[in-house]
Amino acid sequence: MIGIIVYPSWRLSVVLLLIIFIGFFVARVPIRLTKGRTKFVIIFSVLLLLVQVLVTTNGVLLGFLIPQIGDFGPLFPITDFGIVRGLAIASRFLLLIFSSMLFVSVTDPTLLAHSLTRLRIPYKYSFSLVIALRFLPLFDLENHTVRMAQKSRGITPEVTGLGKIIRTIQYTFFPLLVSALSRVDSLSMSMDGRGFGYGTGRSYLRNSSWRVTDILVAFLTVCFLVICIFLATGYLPELAQFI
Amino acid sequence: MLEARNLTFSYDGTTPVLDSLSLQVKRGEIVVITGPTGSGKSTLAKCLSGFIPRSVQGDFSGSVLIDDSDIAELHIAEVARQVSLVQQDPESQICTLQVSDEVAFGPENYGIEVDEISALVNSSLKSVDSEHLYHRPTFELSGGEKQRIIIASMTACKSDFLILDEPSSSLDPQGVLQLRQILRNLQDQSIGVIVIEHNLSAVKPVADKILTLTNGSIHPFSASEHKDSTQASTRTPDDSHSPLVTAKNLKFSYGNRTVIDNVTLGIESGEIVALMGGNGSGKTTLLGLLGGLLAPESGTISFKDSSLGRVNAKEIAHHIAMVFQNPNHQIFEKTVWNEQILTLKALELDTSDKLELSKASLERAGLTGLDERNPFSLSHGQKRRLNVSSIIVHGPEVLLLDEPFIGQDKEGRKFITEIVIKTVERGGAVLIVTHNPTFVRNQCDRIIFMESGSILLDGSPVQVFERLENIGYKEYASLEVQP
Repeated sequence: MIGIIVYPSWRLSVVLLLIIFIGFFVARVPIRLTKGRTKFVIIFSVLLLLVQVLVTTNGVLLGFLIPQIGDFGPLFPITDFGIVRGLAIASRFLLLIFSSMLFVSVTDPTLLAHSLTRLRIPYKYSFSLVIALRFLPLFDLENHTVRMAQKSRGITPEVTGLGKIIRTIQYTFFPLLVSALSRVDSLSMSMDGRGFGYGTGRSYLRNSSWRVTDILVAFLTVCFLVICIFLATGYLPELAQFI
Repeated sequence: MLEARNLTFSYDGTTPVLDSLSLQVKRGEIVVITGPTGSGKSTLAKCLSGFIPRSVQGDFSGSVLIDDSDIAELHIAEVARQVSLVQQDPESQICTLQVSDEVAFGPENYGIEVDEISALVNSSLKSVDSEHLYHRPTFELSGGEKQRIIIASMTACKSDFLILDEPSSSLDPQGVLQLRQILRNLQDQSIGVIVIEHNLSAVKPVADKILTLTNGSIHPFSASEHKDSTQASTRTPDDSHSPLVTAKNLKFSYGNRTVIDNVTLGIESGEIVALMGGNGSGKTTLLGLLGGLLAPESGTISFKDSSLGRVNAKEIAHHIAMVFQNPNHQIFEKTVWNEQILTLKALELDTSDKLELSKASLERAGLTGLDERNPFSLSHGQKRRLNVSSIIVHGPEVLLLDEPFIGQDKEGRKFITEIVIKTVERGGAVLIVTHNPTFVRNQCDRIIFMESGSILLDGSPVQVFERLENIGYKEYASLEVQP
């Protein structure tokens, strides 16, 4: 992700996206997205593309979204630079979603916490990551239940007017917040009751180990980052023509 | 021996929840403590496990001793190595993503050697009969499995005393039988066990001593206190039998997992139907479908003659009301009164006579004088009664109740039973998820028993219970899981 921020090219994003999909295939991780989420990802990517196309007016003019009709128009110029920027941002969004999905699917959070502890990060902080991942599916489920409960009481989300928007937000966040806070109490008692924070260190039943493939991946990542920096600073003009 | 001497505790400094309470529990003894909602059972558990006064604010006096040694000066982690607390909701207590990590969590925190941790994980999982869950992700476990894992994760800390707060509340009858066996196993390991339990019949067979907590102090248990007032129904059966809710060939899945598979049923006016089945058999999802809150993948659901798919949510809410398992998920307002009238307002039915009915309903629910209280600050039992009270004033014809008796004392059970009977007396119908055979025998006209998303049995309580006994589900007919 840092590489693509350093050198924001849509072609490079697409190449990386392909590599990510190969990663899914190699790791034998199925891409599981519910209908609603697939719809969200597609709609949001298209929106990102359209907004960039509409707000970017510099570049070579390719046409107008609304052509001139009599005295009306033309409105919303479409430029090549707008399309390139739109593609860059939309592909970056897709890259973010799918690379995060791959990372979560192939990383064991407990081993990640252990690795972070080995990097001298206090275990109390590294465990917050494990806990966040542990509770995410639960909050997702609770959100679903709260929406069902609203529907059963005849409450429908309303967005006409500030008061109604605030009420809609209140009706969703109140129950979720209270539920989350009550879980925080239970969880902290459960963890304190098992000696969490008792000593400055702790032992681990499962330990992470540094393997040859890790060296290879780390090496390739550094190489990629260096290439991106060279591309961004204009040191690789031949390569920049293609990506 | 774990001993409490003259424990007094008050959250606000004025109303004592525990009042000069004394108690003794020996190693290898199973002590059951029962008592009405709000009597201070969970507070006692927190005192004995050291969370009060260390983590919970309030006025505390008295002492807790282990083998005559006062625990007052010990760090909470040191107390926890001797007394462990398993709280009511297993879901909120799991902090890792794999069963072995969860059970190893305590020993790891105490810096125990890896070989010893490995042995502790294996022996603790064995004591709760869950070795097969070793590599399983925690979020995939059922409610009963989660509870067993939490018990194992506490015993892995090698504590001498274990306190379980309402352990049977999320269990189906088979889970209760397993719980009894686990308690016996713990006893065999010379662990002193305190079980705090509303549902006395779930743990009574394994108890060495049963105590009651009332008015802040402990008394020996008297059977007359626990007698259930739920008597056989005296209502006159409704012979009109007009169908209210009809479902045909319902199918519903979460992702790739089919939860409801080819379910066809009809519920008629005047019927109280018990929906029974093990944890994860699809009962809650079926209620969601029948209430029009979930859309089936295939199949149809109708209310009277209208297909639910073609009716908007508000119109459905006029006729069908649902109470969910967790009361916190269905409280939306800042005061009890606003919560009570929320549905009336949403459906634009807040006329003066309905508001008067709302007041009367709150009174029957035992919530008089709490109008301005924040509903989230009520006890679990009070919240649940508010949930029920707030969905009935507009007179829905169909009530869908998901385990409404959990956490209810005698008064709460009486209130909910009255609501159920009144609904059917005015020509409505009630579908109620429950595992309480006494309630089912006394009040229900019919049982629908589910297994793996399909209806296994559908008939009168006598027929279904008899059949359940014959097919190896005897505990559903004989065991009370809820109070």
